[in-house]
Amino acid sequence: MPSHLNVIIAGGGRVGFQTATTLDDRGHDLTVVEQNPERCDAIADEYVATVICGDASRPDILQQAGVESADVIAGLTGEPGLNLAVCMEAAEMAPGIRTVARIDNRERAGYTRFVDETVFPEDAGARVAVNEIEGSDVRSLADVTGSLDIVEVRVKEGAPAANKKLRETRFPAGTLVISDDDGERVARPDTTLTPGKRYVIAVEPDVVDEVLNLLRG
Amino acid sequence: MSSHGERSPDADLGLLDATMIGMGAMIGAGIFVLTGLAAEIAGPAAILVFVLNGVVTAFTGLSYAELASSIPKSGGGYAFVREVFDDFSSFLMGWMLWFAYMIAGGLYALGFAPNFLELLHVYDVTPAPDAVGAVALPVVDAGVPIAVLLASAAVFLLVGLNALSTAASGSVETIFTLIKVSILVVFVAFGFTSPMFSSAEFQPLFPGDAGAFSILPAMGLTFIAFEGYDLITTVTEEVENPRENIPKAIFVSLGVTVLVYLAVVGVAIGTLGAEGLAAAGEAGIAQAATAFMPTGLPVIQNGGAIIVFGAVFSTLTALNAVVIASSRVAFSMGREEQLLPSFGQLHHRYGTPFVAILASGVVMLGSVALPTQSAGNMSSLFFLLSFIVVNGSVIKLRRERPDMNRPYEMPYYPLPPILGILLNLLLTGVLVRYLLRTDTLALLLSIGWIGLGAAAYAVYVLLRSEESEEEEPDTDQPIPGND
Repeated sequence: MPSHLNVIIAGGGRVGFQTATTLDDRGHDLTVVEQNPERCDAIADEYVATVICGDASRPDILQQAGVESADVIAGLTGEPGLNLAVCMEAAEMAPGIRTVARIDNRERAGYTRFVDETVFPEDAGARVAVNEIEGSDVRSLADVTGSLDIVEVRVKEGAPAANKKLRETRFPAGTLVISDDDGERVARPDTTLTPGKRYVIAVEPDVVDEVLNLLRG
Repeated sequence: MSSHGERSPDADLGLLDATMIGMGAMIGAGIFVLTGLAAEIAGPAAILVFVLNGVVTAFTGLSYAELASSIPKSGGGYAFVREVFDDFSSFLMGWMLWFAYMIAGGLYALGFAPNFLELLHVYDVTPAPDAVGAVALPVVDAGVPIAVLLASAAVFLLVGLNALSTAASGSVETIFTLIKVSILVVFVAFGFTSPMFSSAEFQPLFPGDAGAFSILPAMGLTFIAFEGYDLITTVTEEVENPRENIPKAIFVSLGVTVLVYLAVVGVAIGTLGAEGLAAAGEAGIAQAATAFMPTGLPVIQNGGAIIVFGAVFSTLTALNAVVIASSRVAFSMGREEQLLPSFGQLHHRYGTPFVAILASGVVMLGSVALPTQSAGNMSSLFFLLSFIVVNGSVIKLRRERPDMNRPYEMPYYPLPPILGILLNLLLTGVLVRYLLRTDTLALLLSIGWIGLGAAAYAVYVLLRSEESEEEEPDTDQPIPGND
């Protein structure tokens, strides 16, 4: 694989444009296909991507976006049907291309027959929102393939597990403490849950509440 | 200038900085080094040579402006052509542009040497540079070594500097350009008022019996003076509001450059005479200045020293610019996997495109052994060829991608790129004919470089197909545990 990717993004709205900006920061080559002429000018002003102004579901527009030489195409418009259509057309025109489609619900499984990856931006957005709402003491770090949560929790003074060693603490099944104090080491049985320090914990959704109770009181 | 790609550089260059980068490349070494050579071929018409070259490049300038505003990449001509043409064409474009810059490096280094000697001469450290000046033949000559030694030292110095630390930023470039322009303003001011100029003789305008056509080969030779666009467009990502500022920077820098050339060449020919200028060769402007600038000043003693210093300074900064530009082309080609991947990697310790810079330095050092005129001819030839391709890309892109957003669209399309192609082709033809007659070595080396490129590409395609054959079974097998 080359050190940088040639990426086509269909849809230059909030999601598409933000994606393009981040990819540009990482040194990838971007082409954005956007239908709204005003939006096209706005993206061109930001100078992160080559802009094709047109309907991404039209084959000649995809051609102009250089679908044959692209490594990845991402359908990121607000319309899941359009995104799927664009991805499937692109895969037909350029068989080796990787496809990513933005969908509007969490049921990813149904789409895997048609596209390589799906994106549900509201999921990620909600995670960030939850982090901000709760403040910085509990943060979701990543969304894993399934429903597992990886959170970073600051242990609160007076919480049930505060100042206890891991081997003395009985976390509910479905919990794994990953890191030591402030993420310096991997957690060991003699790791102490010091108040004020942060620990990274993998936790299954149905026990999150209990784990937070132990650590935050 | 920041290295390409790793992180998007901050857009902190304004219109002034971008204009200065272009002017810095166009005004400076070219004017000091090439004026004498142009006068040798075209006589007093050397004035016209530079103006006409400005006009010819203006068409290519329009193409650069359109491409730069619609393709958001810092990589200059190579990046644009890469976007439009297939692998081999874009490889060839990068290969030619890389060479053009490297040979330009040799040219500037060769221009640096006699001007440096002239500077020493002004202070009576060495005899007049004629004693060690340019020679017509590339074979070893008693006079050559000192100039070649100096030129090589300059290349070593700047390649080393650039390999070991990241280059100076655009704002330093602005200061450099301002210094150069003010030195030239001093030169023009003194020249116009000098008694030598009042008796200026511009007749006959065209020397010999070739008449007006004699300016064509001179245009070919000095074309390199106007390669500044490519440099502006190699930093587009660092320019604020590029869709407006890049076209403006291109046209402003071209306009100002043509004016400066007009004034400087006019004064040089007016004072020294076309023949005197021709005889002075690469140190033409410097010698003209020593002739009419006041002497007996405190500290610097000789007013001409300012101009000679300007020539030394300009050739060195231009050399620095092309060391960066050439390595950047090689670096981009490495990143696109059109050269060995190591060309496209930053050095882990110095953070510079180390391999690309060193490789460019090696070719530059080799080109220092050429006569100045051959270096100028070859570099101009390759810039002409690559400008033809750039104009072609505009046409191809408009046809193949009509719906592409073009924040800047050139007026009167398709006239400018077609005129650009025709005029550049004309100059290429004239230059090749001229080389056939006077400088077959340069022509052979040029053909050799293209041949070398084609061979390298063939080997690369071969290696690549072998590699993908080896890889294929892997990708077909299901990877255990990945489902």
